[in-house]
Amino acid sequence: MLLALRRWLGLGTAVVAESATALDQKPQKWVIEPARVGLIARAEELWRYRRILWFFASRRIKERYEDMTLGKFWLFAQPLAPILISTAIFGKMLQVPSDGVPYFLFFLAGNSCWRIFERGVMRVTRSLDQNRGLIKKVYFPRLIAPISAVAPSVTEFGVLFTLLVVTCIYYFVKDGVFYLRLGPQMLVGLFAIVMAAFLAISVGLWTTVMQTRHKDVQYSIRYFMQLWHYVTPVIFPLSELLKVMPENLRFIAYLNPMSSVVEMYKWGLLGIGHVSAMSVVFGVVITLAIFSGGVVYFNRSEAASVDRL
Amino acid sequence: MDSLVAEGLGKCYILSREEGKSRPFWRRWRAPRGESESTAKTRDFWALRDVSFRVEPGTILGVIGPNGAGKTTLLKVLARVITPTTGRVVGVGRVVSLLELGAGFDPDLPAQDNILMNAAILGIPRAEAQRRIKEILEFAEVEQFTASPLRHFSSGMYLRLAFSVAIHMNPQILLADEILAVGDQAFQERCLTKVAELGRDGLTVLFVSHDMDAIMRICNRVMWLHQGAIRKLGDPEEVVDEYQNAIWSQADIAQSERGRRSNRFAEVLSVRLVSSTGKDIGGAPVSEDVFIKTRFRTTKPGLTVKSALDLSTKGTLIFRTTDSEARPLPQAGIYEVLVKIPRDLLAELPYVATVGCIFKRENETKEYPLLMYNALSFLVYGTETPDAPASGRLDRVGYIAPRLEWTVRQEAYAAGA
Repeated sequence: MLLALRRWLGLGTAVVAESATALDQKPQKWVIEPARVGLIARAEELWRYRRILWFFASRRIKERYEDMTLGKFWLFAQPLAPILISTAIFGKMLQVPSDGVPYFLFFLAGNSCWRIFERGVMRVTRSLDQNRGLIKKVYFPRLIAPISAVAPSVTEFGVLFTLLVVTCIYYFVKDGVFYLRLGPQMLVGLFAIVMAAFLAISVGLWTTVMQTRHKDVQYSIRYFMQLWHYVTPVIFPLSELLKVMPENLRFIAYLNPMSSVVEMYKWGLLGIGHVSAMSVVFGVVITLAIFSGGVVYFNRSEAASVDRL
Repeated sequence: MDSLVAEGLGKCYILSREEGKSRPFWRRWRAPRGESESTAKTRDFWALRDVSFRVEPGTILGVIGPNGAGKTTLLKVLARVITPTTGRVVGVGRVVSLLELGAGFDPDLPAQDNILMNAAILGIPRAEAQRRIKEILEFAEVEQFTASPLRHFSSGMYLRLAFSVAIHMNPQILLADEILAVGDQAFQERCLTKVAELGRDGLTVLFVSHDMDAIMRICNRVMWLHQGAIRKLGDPEEVVDEYQNAIWSQADIAQSERGRRSNRFAEVLSVRLVSSTGKDIGGAPVSEDVFIKTRFRTTKPGLTVKSALDLSTKGTLIFRTTDSEARPLPQAGIYEVLVKIPRDLLAELPYVATVGCIFKRENETKEYPLLMYNALSFLVYGTETPDAPASGRLDRVGYIAPRLEWTVRQEAYAAGA
């Protein structure tokens, strides 16, 4: 897939014919000022530099999987172990309900979204620190660092999705029930994953700036994520969460964008869970709010953050 | 039209006070009010202040100054790596910065992909980069290694590639920070020539260096930064001269003394290390006599000269020695003073020589000294043999290592007893 990505970007392929326009362009005038660059100008700049985004992204992915001696086995074993343990504890011992599908499958689906989100946040948080060497030497739109940091989520999703499909086939052979719902609604599942990654960037935009100030943010964020994990319907179905919540406080469950992500994913792929228009709209709106706030915050503190690196 | 105009550029860093940081928080909490307030404050540090200048296209502007003068900060501001606190810069055309050779290279990618990636970081369209790949590889002399990942490159190849990429990206403004501090002589030479050549074609270069020879050779103008502000900006010869004098004067050997190469009676032409056959040498073998030769030209007849030599190593003055008498210089002309450093005197260390010549008119008491601070640095090296490797040799240790005469004899009464 990486190769395809690269090919698409045209790396390592020769350009056939190209007019000499770029070289003869009239030199552009530029200004450097203490004033912050506006958001629209930033967006334009990001677009101009979009190619580095791909370079960075593929670099992050390679970094992640380069030194794995156990190779492919490890890719699958790594997410599988916690899922198996949780299945044993919550599914078998505590008999947590699972919306009518095997608990393993239920947990795997919820955990896929959560994992992508959680690890994404961690990576984005560290992104400025990690690219310090480059950021202090070369100019490029700094937003590229946090955005490209979620790139390994792409491969991660590939692994988790493969696990899901294999599990469904296993249950089909074993019980004769094919839990995976094939059809266009799978796009909702894909949308959920994209939203999880996007939310990771949004949250990470805040935390990565804080990380440049306080190096312990990456540890406290882990603690915070654990709490978030428990209000997200990964271990238990959303219906159980709603059951224990008083009627007038249920909107809190909807305020958590991750809960609509998880439910959308489960609904899209397995046809279970609670997806209502309201929860989706709530989730998307809140995610966008976190994102735009994050971009503004990141943009405002960019100069100060770079000084602190 | 100017290619670069900076107005009132300033960069302020906020430093937190060390006392406030080093104290653990529980002790800070328990500290008396008045004290904690005074220690918890932060302090401003202006790395650049009110720097204004304009540069015309084709100018090679040398930036000099002692460490911490703000040279790199200035370049980083111009490269947009850091945002200035005050002022503004207006520029025309593409800026390519070489703050560090090869920043942004990915050691796992082959040269070709790295060129493209670097081009992307510099904001250059891929098509343009593609067209120039061949030229870049050629200049860097790495054509045969296009496909091997950069981590297999030698550091020299790495360097050449980075420099080559930068200059081939068709910049209008090139920011170079100490690019010549690295690489072998041949490559340094080629870089300098190339930079000078591009300058003639209208490229604006800001060139930070501590190498005054290089600055004098390629720059049309020189900016001397001192504590973040411009101390002097102008003609290279003038600025470099004044800068070097200022540096020498800081050497602080005696307050009245100034590092000067010329006065109204004489001008020092060179200070060299020569062998006993009169050949210029860069290092002195321990086991040979060497000479420090000072050549000067006098402009008036009837002078005398008394010379002195300070030898220091690692910043410590080892000794000062002065000629025992004033030597007459009857006619105006070129003279040379030779002082012999006998063999087996100095240790195997790098030394720095400061040379002074005190001129006097006959029948006058007023002295006209010329002092060349740190005029010459040289390395004293030993002759290594298998049984006496230079490192770990303990028989002669210290800032000098004279070979002295030793005798052992039996005392007379003991012999008699």
